[in-house]
Amino acid sequence: MRVVIAEDNALLREGLVLLLTSAGHDVVAVAGTGPEVLPMLLAKRPDAAVLDVRMPPGFRDEGLRAALEARKEIPGLPVLVLSQYVEQSYATELLGGGASGVGYLLKDRVGRVDEFLDALERVAAGGTALDPEVVTELLTRRRDSPLDTLTPREREVLALMAEGHDNTTIAKTLFVSERVVSKHIGNVFLKLDLPPSDSGHRRVLAVLAYLNGS
Amino acid sequence: MWETVRRAAKATRQLAGAAALAFGAYLFISLILLSVAGALVVVGIGMVPTTTMLMRQLAGTKRRNVAEWTGRTIPERYLRIDGPLRQSLRGVVRDPSTYADLRWMLAYYLYGALGYLAVPLWVIGVPVDGVWCGLLGRKALVLPLIGRLADLDATWSEALLKPTPKALLVERVEELTQTRAGAIAEHAAELRRIERDLHDGTQARLVALSMRIGLARRVYDSDPKAARALLDDAQEQAEHALTELRHVVRGIHPPILTDRGLAGAVRALAASSGLAVFVDADSVEAGPRAPAAVEAAAYFVVAEALTNALKHSGADGAEVLVMRSAQGLRVVVRDDGQGGARIPQAGLDPRTGGSGLLGMYRRVAALDGTLTVTSPVGGPTTIEAELPCVW
Repeated sequence: MRVVIAEDNALLREGLVLLLTSAGHDVVAVAGTGPEVLPMLLAKRPDAAVLDVRMPPGFRDEGLRAALEARKEIPGLPVLVLSQYVEQSYATELLGGGASGVGYLLKDRVGRVDEFLDALERVAAGGTALDPEVVTELLTRRRDSPLDTLTPREREVLALMAEGHDNTTIAKTLFVSERVVSKHIGNVFLKLDLPPSDSGHRRVLAVLAYLNGS
Repeated sequence: MWETVRRAAKATRQLAGAAALAFGAYLFISLILLSVAGALVVVGIGMVPTTTMLMRQLAGTKRRNVAEWTGRTIPERYLRIDGPLRQSLRGVVRDPSTYADLRWMLAYYLYGALGYLAVPLWVIGVPVDGVWCGLLGRKALVLPLIGRLADLDATWSEALLKPTPKALLVERVEELTQTRAGAIAEHAAELRRIERDLHDGTQARLVALSMRIGLARRVYDSDPKAARALLDDAQEQAEHALTELRHVVRGIHPPILTDRGLAGAVRALAASSGLAVFVDADSVEAGPRAPAAVEAAAYFVVAEALTNALKHSGADGAEVLVMRSAQGLRVVVRDDGQGGARIPQAGLDPRTGGSGLLGMYRRVAALDGTLTVTSPVGGPTTIEAELPCVW
């Protein structure tokens, strides 16, 4: 697929280009500063964008803002945001405009090449990819909530679901059958009082909406 | 009439105290003169600190005595006099209060006699006012003068015994010297902590990582399977190193402060705190930013306070106020929990109740700020930090 990369660190940028081209993707443009990102996305209309949060000149959250702007202009534009550290509110902002085609991962995950590429594919296909660290934080932050009524297994399933995995992957990860997984998911929805739905990102949205108490 | 007499009697008691003190002062001046004379012949130089301490006590007694009469306390500002002779002498000479006390004492030589005037006033006043006020029902004339005398004595003493602006300045310098030393020590400890974290954690992990890659290269041709296992291991080490680095970086300066500024960072904290938090940080939204260390400390206070509220106090809601004040930055965090939070004394086990409070206190103190924790049992808990900075 056609990918745009925005990353100011030359080493990482080259690394990403190498990684994506070797996986058979087509890197159509790269940006090294914040202001370039939005026009580039609007001009190239890629199948997916991989964006760094902090970009020059301000070294603040230019990349994230560009991603949000771009998705306003092109609804559903798949963006995978990479960051040196995880900030829960960024995840919430990104998912605020609809969770289809959104990813938010730590840069460390790029090292796990297969998982990273898998996450990018998921996002490009309109799914979700949330860093496990964001999910853990979301799951441990709340108190006196129906989350406490979940069994450890159900919590595991919910965490994987929030990261954006589908039933097949969850089943593989936990070494159980898909039927067992869907039973767990049913229980989670029941306990959290969420309307059941099939598609991955809507499940994540529901979970997040619940976890953020919004 | 009785009222007048009672008032006059009260003033007389006051004046009697003043007169007694004056008598003491007379004696004391002689002592000082002796001590100065002695100092000139070197023998009495050892007497100087003791004499000064005595003079301070005398002045202190007068301050209390005046405060009783006027109802206004007169603050005392003395530098400490202790240690070996040379050091205590330096204290005596450097302290502007020493000269102020001396000045008062010399002046007291003159006006200390006011108290003795009360005696003739009584002698005249009792018959005069007895007729004037007791029989004719007019306003008393003479006896109230005794009260005037006491007022006069109090006014003059207060003027002379008040800490001079110079004394206040000297005290402030002393205070700043202390806090600066504290801040430098704190900073050094912080640097050592960061150095240790990097050295024991990240560096060690990178060494291990490098070793594994080296081993994998050695067995790459002969045993690809082992090489793969080593590489897997190496990747794990790299990820651990990154995780540790992230923690170190967060401890130095929370990245979100860089991204979003203090107002945005505090809002993000509130949003992810798991409590219903009302945030008012509008005053730091725009305009000049506080120094990085001050912002980081403010962020740390809010983060810790909200964590404590969630973990220990059983609170459901909290409010966070961040505002500019004339002196710097003011941070207030209030929660509706069960209260009972205390700053543990250093040396106690920090795990008992509000462990974060001590760290919070140290971090604020290092910047010459103040931290007040008001947390009655039953709640609510209010944590206030004042962080000085120049806008």
